[in-house]
Amino acid sequence: MTDQCRFIGSRLITRRRFLVTTGSSALAGYLLLNRPAWAADVDVARAGNFGQLDATAEEGIDLYLENQDLLVGGRIGRAITINGSIPGPVIRMTEGRDALIRVHNRLHEATSIHWHGILLPFDMDGVPGISFAGIPAGETFTYRFPVRQNGTYWYHSHSGFQEQRGHYGQLIIEPAQTDPVDYDVEYTVVLSDWTFEDPHSVFRNLKTIEGYYNFQRPTLANIDDQMRATGMSLGEVIDKRLAWQGMRMDPTDIADVTGATYTFLMNGKAADENPIFLAQPGQKVRLRIVNASAQTFYDVRIPGLPMTMVQADGQNIKPVETDEFRIAVAETYDVVVTLPDDQAYTLFAETMDRSGYARGTLAPRDGMAAAIPERRRRPMLTMADMGMMMNGGMQGMEGMSRGEHESMQMPKDRQAEGGLPTENLISRVKHGPDGHGPASITMAQTAYRRLDYPGAGLGDDGWRVLTYSQLRARERPPLRRPPTREFYLHLTGNMHQFIWGFDGKKWSESDMIRFQYGERLRINMINDTMMSHPIHLHGMWMDLYAGGNLDTNPRKHTVNVQPAELLTVDITADAPGQWAFHCHLLYHMEAGMFRTVAVVRSLQGGSIDADA
Amino acid sequence: MPMPKRLTAAMMAVAILLSSPAMGQGKQKMENMPSTANQPDHQQSAQHHQDTPPPDLDVPPLPEGMTLDEVFNYAESDPPASFPDPVVDDQWFGFVRFDQFEYRVTDDDVPDHLGWEADVWFGGDINKFWWKTEGEVIFDGPDEGESENDFLYSRLFTPFWSIQTGVQYANEWTPDDYGDRWSYVLGLQGLAPYQFELDNSLYVSEDGDLTVEVEGEYDLRIAQRLVLQPRVGLGFAAQDVPERNLGSGMTSGDLDMRLRYEVKREFAPYIGVRYQFLLGETEDIAAAAGDKTEQWMVLAGLRFAF
Repeated sequence: MTDQCRFIGSRLITRRRFLVTTGSSALAGYLLLNRPAWAADVDVARAGNFGQLDATAEEGIDLYLENQDLLVGGRIGRAITINGSIPGPVIRMTEGRDALIRVHNRLHEATSIHWHGILLPFDMDGVPGISFAGIPAGETFTYRFPVRQNGTYWYHSHSGFQEQRGHYGQLIIEPAQTDPVDYDVEYTVVLSDWTFEDPHSVFRNLKTIEGYYNFQRPTLANIDDQMRATGMSLGEVIDKRLAWQGMRMDPTDIADVTGATYTFLMNGKAADENPIFLAQPGQKVRLRIVNASAQTFYDVRIPGLPMTMVQADGQNIKPVETDEFRIAVAETYDVVVTLPDDQAYTLFAETMDRSGYARGTLAPRDGMAAAIPERRRRPMLTMADMGMMMNGGMQGMEGMSRGEHESMQMPKDRQAEGGLPTENLISRVKHGPDGHGPASITMAQTAYRRLDYPGAGLGDDGWRVLTYSQLRARERPPLRRPPTREFYLHLTGNMHQFIWGFDGKKWSESDMIRFQYGERLRINMINDTMMSHPIHLHGMWMDLYAGGNLDTNPRKHTVNVQPAELLTVDITADAPGQWAFHCHLLYHMEAGMFRTVAVVRSLQGGSIDADA
Repeated sequence: MPMPKRLTAAMMAVAILLSSPAMGQGKQKMENMPSTANQPDHQQSAQHHQDTPPPDLDVPPLPEGMTLDEVFNYAESDPPASFPDPVVDDQWFGFVRFDQFEYRVTDDDVPDHLGWEADVWFGGDINKFWWKTEGEVIFDGPDEGESENDFLYSRLFTPFWSIQTGVQYANEWTPDDYGDRWSYVLGLQGLAPYQFELDNSLYVSEDGDLTVEVEGEYDLRIAQRLVLQPRVGLGFAAQDVPERNLGSGMTSGDLDMRLRYEVKREFAPYIGVRYQFLLGETEDIAAAAGDKTEQWMVLAGLRFAF
């Protein structure tokens, strides 16, 4: 299948393009010579051999979806490949041109491709059941849409659990104008998670046995470890544990699916396959990082190298230097790093629950490797994750109380003339009396801004960690004005039963959320659960309230809402049609943490049921 | 002796209260109460209903061959019938778990037993059908045994608790006798604070006898796969039931301790002990008949699920 990937580099050689590789072609050759003996007699391709295609070229591109055995981390797995590989080819586009993509479904089931973060007509968005009927087995679907943006994005299946089986790839859109980001060489970094289990049985395991994949729970054997790590006495540790037991919660419930079944991949390669990214000392290296995981949050760093964040979710941001950042599922970040010397550096992506890692090497020559950092202790949730602002919560509060008013009351209807406030928004909000029924274990009685909080397990290592509060749009995005309508949306779940939804309801129990075409709308998301949820809106930008103002708040397609967090996004409802809005954790989405959004001409007369 | 009555009365009251539709309605209504939950009046009171978009908004590219009006009409309507659901979030699952499947070594003068306790459920997130089965048979001796099978409809009515109702078929047999009975069952099953799994059932037999069984267990994790599980089971009767050798009050109990190793979550061999005893009038009845009133057992078994 790889012969269907055309490498476009040869057609348009610029300095930049010349240096572009997907990071895998050189590696592929290397690995072919270094197959483990036991794999030598198996004629199975390795994951991670992906090419590059130009979808805004005149004749368009063809994508072929197939069930295929692949070597993933040295073991044979049944993957869904796109043009013979996982991840699929890097699809390039040029802003201002038309994309033309023919998707040939050679699977035995219907499929789809969703262009994540791309503004397009709703029927091209690729969500079966909302945008279209899906692509039946054996058929071809043609995607055609004008490209109206630039930056780093990705694409993936929106059908069932196909994404878990490798159905994803990176999408890069070249700007029509000069790219404000300065770099000499660029690389694709697709982070993902892979399981040799059937994803349907993963889902069933989650639904039927609580904590199925969590092998980092509190035990008698690790009391000692917890005492050493936290400096607490035996009595304090036992008290703390009893407090959690009393609440029927598990403070180690950080990730639903873990390294117990996952192989963590970078560009389709497991950590020991060490994908390599070549650059010479002094060169500016742009890493286009996308988290294409089904369930895994990664904490990314390059020990010894500061990273300059230049883009978030495909949108240029004011460059900010950091040492580590957490990338939620479905987010993308572009970072620029400069190799200071003739050494190798490890690109280290540790999972949020510390149950594993993906890793690659940034080096001047093939075959080099640097030390793999020691893995950190798995974090435990704190009372701050239940809206009790002590311990870890305090720093967040201090950060917020500067100049922001705090409301312990329910916000009133705030439909002021000229719109809602856009700066110094309320810093916390008390939960109403509605517990959202049996589908929600509502722990936090108060939700609060956590823009300064890097997340569980981060921030105590003595180096800088990026937070949302540091994200600022590079230039004021268009269509910014104060919102005229707002509603609250609770992210809810019952971790014991693996039920997930919004306001205690699943997709199948709810109506569409209606946006009025042209309106400027605010959604205040409140995470009632103890897990982080990356919330993704299709078709329209979410302007994240990151503590800035209309000029500077960044645009996002996916926002990570942390436990007990109050997070606000403003949306310009400029895309008529129907769209998906959901948690991007695949198993949460399939469990019903999903809504259809309808952008309609007028809200009048219709059902007004944003929460349903 | 008054204790079981109070207990059963309390259970009944709780069950009736919780299962009443009014309560369910109340929950539903609460969803729309002004709170941080969505406030419908946000939309009604919005003063900015414009029929035309504001000037800075260009009409974006539309689906090929559709006008803006057609797109709005589409957006207002349900998706075409030929479309699948975007997510299948209302699937039913089936699950079988043998909590106990074990060999019970008894005192020398009593034959060893094979015992089991298993749950089978089928259904969605909120509503499920449960079959709970438990029983034991003599392993190496006369064909004697007993079993209890509860067939229940179960509804998750709070995040941690399910209310269950249905029927029980219980039987016992010896080489020359077979007895059985049907009972109505009302159960309350769930997770209590401090992570105690509780399973409480109230039975009204076809003869009108009211009994209650209360079971609680707790998983003490020694290591990630090594779990010590203490378990308590207690029986109560609201009246004397001579044909079952039950006296009113607390009738019997068993205290178990099992140490299992989770090779997989759904495959865990274990060893354990059980202390079984009779209490109150029930104990007196057994003692008068010359039967044992307490017994120690050593257990070895497999906890498994599929």
